[in-house]
Amino acid sequence: MRVIRAGGVGTGVLAAAYGVWLLLDLGWANTRSTLLWLVGGVVLHDGVFAVLVLAVALVALRLVPRDRLAPWVVALVILVPVTLAGIPELGRFGARPDNPTLLDRPYWLGWSVMVTLVVAGVLVGAVATRRRTAVRGGDDDTGAGGR
Amino acid sequence: MRTMTRPRVPDERDFTSWLRSPTVTARVGVWLGVCFGLAFVTGLVSHWAQTPSPWLPFPTSPSWGYRVTQGVHVIAGTAAVPLLLVKLWTVFPKLVARPPKEARDLVLHGLERISIAVLVAAAIFQLVTGLANAAQWYPWRFNFRPTHYALAWIAIGALVVHIAVKLPLISAALGSDVDSTALDRPTLERGPGVISRRGLLRTTWVATGVAVLATAGSTVPWLRKVSVLGVRSGTGPQGVPINHSAVYRGVVAAATSPAYRLTVAYGDRQARLSLADLRAMPLTTASLPIACVEGWSAGATWTGVPVRALLDLVGTPGGSEVLVESLQEHGGERLSTLAGNVADHPHTLLALALDGEPLSLDHGFPCRLIAPDRPGVLQTKWVGRLEVAT
Repeated sequence: MRVIRAGGVGTGVLAAAYGVWLLLDLGWANTRSTLLWLVGGVVLHDGVFAVLVLAVALVALRLVPRDRLAPWVVALVILVPVTLAGIPELGRFGARPDNPTLLDRPYWLGWSVMVTLVVAGVLVGAVATRRRTAVRGGDDDTGAGGR
Repeated sequence: MRTMTRPRVPDERDFTSWLRSPTVTARVGVWLGVCFGLAFVTGLVSHWAQTPSPWLPFPTSPSWGYRVTQGVHVIAGTAAVPLLLVKLWTVFPKLVARPPKEARDLVLHGLERISIAVLVAAAIFQLVTGLANAAQWYPWRFNFRPTHYALAWIAIGALVVHIAVKLPLISAALGSDVDSTALDRPTLERGPGVISRRGLLRTTWVATGVAVLATAGSTVPWLRKVSVLGVRSGTGPQGVPINHSAVYRGVVAAATSPAYRLTVAYGDRQARLSLADLRAMPLTTASLPIACVEGWSAGATWTGVPVRALLDLVGTPGGSEVLVESLQEHGGERLSTLAGNVADHPHTLLALALDGEPLSLDHGFPCRLIAPDRPGVLQTKWVGRLEVAT
């Protein structure tokens, strides 16, 4: 285990150092812009997104009974990442009038259909779980009926 | 008497969710590692495919090879988004963990924190820039391709360091039941709260599947209908999407001019061919995908003159490297190099027709390069010159 770990750290440091060398080789202006985006990504995640998630969780825990929250957690864990990944499409930032084959879908309509289907699926799942739990009178490992 | 308490800076103990356990983190981490590994390896393949004169020639077979590797590259990156967000959520309390007091521990702790900062920054950077690039959105100043490549080495290096450092914990976490509390911080709540650990894991797998289904139709034809967030619907002139139009590249006049001639040059020997000359040559038809570096792809049937037949007109020896030059005066895809094995392949064509009809202007009229197993950015459109150095 010790040898594997030491080998892993050594290999990883070498690979990362090669990446740093490749990056610096692209010139200072390129590196500066890259650093801005590297730091910006962490700040946006740790300082904004993660804090928002905590805030939403705190508010939800106060407003909604704990045993009713599971379906909303499931829906948000599914929908928030796919929506973030879809920002370039939803905003159509790269669209160009001379190329109608690029970003050529009705993205907001598709997104709305996806949200509706996921929310409907989660609610149906929650009702089914609640019924099953009620019939069995026991616990269920999807947690929808948790305490 | 009332005592005033100063608000305390939160630390690790304040995060009590039962879900933030190493047993959950390790399970999500395995799949995140798989996605980053796939994206890294397929990224290296793409880098190799785009290197003008690699010491080891990029293969020409299977013809759909690059379509698959680059499709996997973008799909793996997209799948990593939910996995990364859930994984970072499970370890978020570490961000506010208090450093150890002993000097030796402090140094090790500091080094680990630096490696994790590098990993998180590089991972977010790769996903954000990759997804934006796939939608042709470039809101940055750095040069995307070499920077994405450099950061890939940094991300994978930091990931390998992270796995090596955490190996005992990962191994213990994967070896225990997901509900085991043996590895948990002492301040975690007991028992399932809002959702169970298995419930969170299942939800994460579903989220990953939804992210893939919502986007992969750009390269997997049978998913086109469900990929509501796909960059392309897969349609376009002659049933094939385009990346850059003739208008955008400013080649309309040159490409449609009756004076158009294709020049084939080998040293001081030259052939100049009109479109009619090209059409009069023996033509080959081949089914070859157009597979873009941005991850979209489409299959099509192309008809044209084999590049080898054109090289034979000026007596070029077999295995020669060919520089293909477009009529366009700017843009990264103006020039491309055909390695000897590609130039000589019987299905490497200067295509004149797509699915039996003359090429549309946006697909590269009067003729474009199409070769097997080759990134779309190197399938030069509006070809004006083929040149072989002596």
